[in-house]
Amino acid sequence: MELIVYGIINSITLSLVSLGFTLVYSISRVPNFAHGALYITSGYLTWTFLDKFAGFPYPLAILAGIGITSIVGAMIYQFILVRIRGMEISEIIATYAIGLAILEGLRWGGLRGMTFTLPAFFTGSVNILGASVDYQRLIIVGAGLLTFALLYLFTRYTKIGLAFRGIAQDERAAMMLGINSDMTAVVSLAIGSALAGFAAILLLPLGNIVVETGYNVLIFAIAVCVIGGLGSWGGVIVASFIIGFAQILTEAFISAHYQMVVALLAIIITLLVKPSGIFGKQKELEERV
Amino acid sequence: MFEAFELMVFYENMIALNNVSITCDEGKIIGIFGSNSAGKSTLMYAVSGIILDIKRKEEMRGGERISVFGRVFFDGRDMTAVKPHNRAKAGIVLCPERRRIFPESSVLENLKIGSYLTSSREAKQNLEYVLDLFPRLKDHLKRQGGFLSGGEQQMLAIGRALMASPKVLLLDEPLLGLSPAYQEIVINGTKAIRDSKGISIIVTEQYARPVMPIIDYGYILENGSSVLMGTKEELLDNPDVKSAYFGV
Repeated sequence: MELIVYGIINSITLSLVSLGFTLVYSISRVPNFAHGALYITSGYLTWTFLDKFAGFPYPLAILAGIGITSIVGAMIYQFILVRIRGMEISEIIATYAIGLAILEGLRWGGLRGMTFTLPAFFTGSVNILGASVDYQRLIIVGAGLLTFALLYLFTRYTKIGLAFRGIAQDERAAMMLGINSDMTAVVSLAIGSALAGFAAILLLPLGNIVVETGYNVLIFAIAVCVIGGLGSWGGVIVASFIIGFAQILTEAFISAHYQMVVALLAIIITLLVKPSGIFGKQKELEERV
Repeated sequence: MFEAFELMVFYENMIALNNVSITCDEGKIIGIFGSNSAGKSTLMYAVSGIILDIKRKEEMRGGERISVFGRVFFDGRDMTAVKPHNRAKAGIVLCPERRRIFPESSVLENLKIGSYLTSSREAKQNLEYVLDLFPRLKDHLKRQGGFLSGGEQQMLAIGRALMASPKVLLLDEPLLGLSPAYQEIVINGTKAIRDSKGISIIVTEQYARPVMPIIDYGYILENGSSVLMGTKEELLDNPDVKSAYFGV
């Protein structure tokens, strides 16, 4: 029973972490390898506001942290990616380099050790089906579900969300209808970065803000996206649950050290068995038509 | 009202469009005929501005060198350097070759994406108009675009372009691969769009016969050059046209 509860929490955590990456990829086809760096940036900024300005209210610090992260994301597109748009390898190299620069810059600037932590929103825990779950994790589950619901409504019922769906499926056809692909790409990076920041604010109170987390987050996000099928929303959810439960099971029966191995192993197996991922739906459709 | 002047397009050193000028007055249907590789699609891309995007992407990749010369005027504005999405905003909307509908979106969502530029009130009116024009789409509103038949996809593609409230509608090979029954629906629909909304339409096609009855003026492209132009009657009377494009 405990395993199921922890598995669900872990799965939702993973999907929160990968949402931003998927969103950016599905709309602008940019594999945003700076995702992990943006995640840490948001946490670090929030910590800075709290630490450097005494009496800064926590919610405001969170908003500022996420807001600045999203602006950073938009600027990454506006100033760098716009020049290499459409060349996947260059995009990967550029975004990865930016990510490295941010993360190692932060490390060099003093983000070392265990002193960087964000406070939990509420302390305390509650007993669910025999498993002790603290409030922060409950908030994560709630916020994760809410984010999914909001994103679904956003892409189905708002004008800009529909433009996103158009651009994601056929950029040039969308352009012919008056949709500006550079604009949607900037907005998608801003939203994707904000999502990374949002996940960071929710998850970082559970641990320390360390540079390594940035790399781990990137690997988890890639694992989830590769297994679910790049750019597929349903894939993110399904893959998060597969990896999430696999991790909890290995932790319970083998050892906690193997968590990362599970994610990497899952990537390899997916690439061997079904390279387009579980929901490589787009290609399937193309073949039919 | 709409004028493309001395358009020239090169892919590397190959000339795809050689000094082609076309004009389309308000509320007219213009036909552009030519065989495969005559430059019809390139002309459509040049007129709608998509060529600028193709050119930019190729330049960034270090791929094919594309050169574009000539000017495009619309409503007295020089559109030559205007980006494709802004041309759509000005009213030049392309319904591309092979339809390119959004395969994962439902029919309704395809149409909704098409209404990106219009107000919600206008979108509602346009939606009603499109569903009246192609009633068959009504039965499939919830279906994924990718699972429609070719004819239905073509109706959807035209409907989606109409949702953007165009002033000039560019139809690139709308009859490609359609059964005669669907060809008739699409052709009648095209005429109905002009008659009821006064939208100017430029339509390209390989086979002139099905389109000929509805056009006001026609151009014939061969190897990128416009070799012949004239009103419907003039084209129909020309013996060369008869043998080449009607198989008489």
